[in-house]
Amino acid sequence: MIRFILLRAMWGVLVIMSVVTLVFFLIFVAGDPAVTVLGPQARAEQIADFKAKKGLDQPVPAQFLSYLGVMPCVRKDSPKYERDDGSRGFCGILQGDLGESYSHHESVAAVIGHRLPRTLLLASLAVLFELIIGLSAGVIAALRRNRWSDTLIMFATFVGISLPTYVTGPISLLLFAFLLGWFPFGGYGVDPLDHLYHALLPSLILAVAGAATYARVMRGELIETLRHDHVRTAKAKGMPMSRVVIKHAIRNALLPIVTLIGLSLPFLVGGAIITEKIFAWPGLGLLTIESIESLDAPVIMAVVLMFGVAVQMGNLLADIAVAALDPRIRLED
Amino acid sequence: MRSTPRTERRRPTRWMTGAAALVAAALLLGWVIANFPRAPIGPRYVGAGHQTPRSGGTFIFAAGSNIHTLDPHFAYDTLSTAACRLLYDGLLDYDYDGNMIPGLAAELPKMSDGGRSFRFTLRNGIKFHNGREITAEDISWSLHRLLSERIGSPGYPFFKSIQGAPAYHRGEADRVEGIVVLDEKTIEFHLDEADQTFLNALAMPFSYPLAKEHVEKLEQAEGRDAVGRHPVGSGPFTFSRWERGVQVEFERFEEYWAPQARPDRMIFLENISSDVASARFRNGDLDVVYRPSKVTRLFLRASEAWAPYRAESPSASVFALGLNCELPPFDDVHVRRAVAFALDRSKLERLDPGQVIAATQILPPMLAPHDPELPTRQGFDLERAKEEMRLAGFPDGLIEPVTLWVRGEGEVRAAQLFQQDLKAIGIEIELKMVSFATYLKETGRPRVAQAAFTGWHQDFPDPSNFMDILFHSRSIHPENSENRSFYRNPKLDAILDRARPEIDREARLALYAQANAILADEAPWAFLYYPIDMFAWQPYVKGFRPHPVWLNEYRNVWLDLPRERVSQSIYEQETGP
Repeated sequence: MIRFILLRAMWGVLVIMSVVTLVFFLIFVAGDPAVTVLGPQARAEQIADFKAKKGLDQPVPAQFLSYLGVMPCVRKDSPKYERDDGSRGFCGILQGDLGESYSHHESVAAVIGHRLPRTLLLASLAVLFELIIGLSAGVIAALRRNRWSDTLIMFATFVGISLPTYVTGPISLLLFAFLLGWFPFGGYGVDPLDHLYHALLPSLILAVAGAATYARVMRGELIETLRHDHVRTAKAKGMPMSRVVIKHAIRNALLPIVTLIGLSLPFLVGGAIITEKIFAWPGLGLLTIESIESLDAPVIMAVVLMFGVAVQMGNLLADIAVAALDPRIRLED
Repeated sequence: MRSTPRTERRRPTRWMTGAAALVAAALLLGWVIANFPRAPIGPRYVGAGHQTPRSGGTFIFAAGSNIHTLDPHFAYDTLSTAACRLLYDGLLDYDYDGNMIPGLAAELPKMSDGGRSFRFTLRNGIKFHNGREITAEDISWSLHRLLSERIGSPGYPFFKSIQGAPAYHRGEADRVEGIVVLDEKTIEFHLDEADQTFLNALAMPFSYPLAKEHVEKLEQAEGRDAVGRHPVGSGPFTFSRWERGVQVEFERFEEYWAPQARPDRMIFLENISSDVASARFRNGDLDVVYRPSKVTRLFLRASEAWAPYRAESPSASVFALGLNCELPPFDDVHVRRAVAFALDRSKLERLDPGQVIAATQILPPMLAPHDPELPTRQGFDLERAKEEMRLAGFPDGLIEPVTLWVRGEGEVRAAQLFQQDLKAIGIEIELKMVSFATYLKETGRPRVAQAAFTGWHQDFPDPSNFMDILFHSRSIHPENSENRSFYRNPKLDAILDRARPEIDREARLALYAQANAILADEAPWAFLYYPIDMFAWQPYVKGFRPHPVWLNEYRNVWLDLPRERVSQSIYEQETGP
């Protein structure tokens, strides 16, 4: 088990490293960050000043090594650029330094620090809704197989999977926020309870596709499990149907769901990009769009790094959780 | 196929259940549609009816993206500028006609030395938000901070004409020679050469003074970017709090030197897209909306009830097709003129009604010396376009197609309209869609893009801010040229170099009028349109009107509270049966 986790972690680090390298160089293929951040009104002189300040006048490989933290700092405006003894310091990710945002006038860590909790709130609420709605709908559909309620649920899941958030989002805003006034019209609110209230509608919308998927998977798995011998035995013993389902069937049917949740975590953060845009939710998704548009390289890199870590962690956790739930599965390489 | 009696009995039952369910659903849908809440057709709230301005209330406005900083020395985008306009004040400012007026200065500066020296006297009773009186030393200290290499402000190029500023910026001098504090209330600026636009620079947020003791304490404790998070300025509002990416909150500054009725608080919401902002505005949750979504704009324009509470005015921008004067075929002035005459700009006005005005010259309508009757003005004239093609030696059109760079879907649509126009004079256009980042990088290099969508928004209201930067040969560089059409004309350069330092306003405008005529005639840009901005505000918002220089200017707003919710039925008559 430990060996498996170590190997997977090493593999994960390798994948993350390659992605980081690729994106770093892609940013410079896409355009000139200094020119893009400063915009169409910028004077040549401002661009030159900015480049010198941020080390963007250095060769790209040197900037990359400095970003990694294996070569001395090239960013003149970094507090670590010059050590007290006059030698050059290091200011890369190895030193835990994500740099300073080009457009936000704050360290990248601070920028992410504002945004991450907001996206996590949205994503965790969405997972909660996915599970509550998806699993209960799946169980009902499985137990009432081929009855009208099953048909209705399956039809609803089909619609749910097919409708993208950029359709459901604006419609729900129009209906529930604008016309009915039940929910606030986008935004984040000012205090914790207000944040939660503002998060309800976007997280429900974010949960639609996931809930529909879970419902279908749950239904299929549960129908399959209900046919198993141990379930039949339990029924034959005279156990009430509700206990049979809860104790014996659902637990088994949950296995693929757990894997799905693990795999979906990074997509919840990623999928939140569109949802955040529609609901004016100032989280990581909006930050990602803005920083790509303005080529705010340090922020783009940090976001890529975080998504990479999230994907790898999600996969690893899903594998471990499945092993914990199913004693027959042994984690080996 | 054989069927059992049992299924025969069940089938009609199921069919009937289905039909009943369908009927029920249809009835439900009908009920929902009939009772559906309707969007308001007029304002939801009206004011209390006070005639004299009064303080109080909370004024809420919003923008579509982030405020980058509250440090005026970095405020180079419209949102940061808007926020800084509430928190800070400069020596000079602009009135609602775009004229320069004194701000912290008691009066406009006294000029001497042929326009190379400016002496300012400060007002009495001007205070920072921490209660300390602002002195000439503060003005000087803040400009030194702006110009220092350590800070690296993008504002430096606007102030480099001050004597000794470049040396100080490079770290070769301890002080900027040309900034001289004469006494507590008097400060003098000496320039290397006469330059009237220096006063415009002094009206930009870059020059707004900061309290030295506050800045030094903050930078020590929290690092250089701390000022942008906890600003202490001298403007009509003090900083209250900033939830990053969500909203900035302001409170009225009681000791402001120009007391007048203002709201108690202001809230500037960030990251509210135009769709969300428009809907919130119609709900009465926002007090003003700027550049509403297209649907809302059309609705507001059509609504009688909203008519007194909206304004449309051209923004200080111009959009155009930039023609590269170094590359064939646009190295020939006749081909450039042919393009300028071939474009039927009225199509754009039809494509986006009320959004644009056809552009005829580089200067937008509100900026002197814009001249609607300019003899060399550009405009649609197919015969003249064909004549220019003959003069260029291409009576049957060009053989090679021309590549036009476009930066987004909106421009593709516009470009497709012009494709037909240019085909009529024998110019085949191929579109090349590029990202904004690629566009900025590549069009700043000589001999890359033949033609590209381009534009400019003024940094400050002066013709030099359009002409010097965009068309002076000095603005051509091997990388990052501001002159993206690579237009060189010694005659134009000479006129611009004479106009910049000219003290006499009439003589100065006359020179820019000449330059304006040359640019329209020589057509390094085929001008397309001036965009129109729409503002709408709630009936209880008083004292607001669009400002020609500051995009979101809410310093003079007051609220007629308490607001009262109106029944929507009062609007029923207006729309008729």
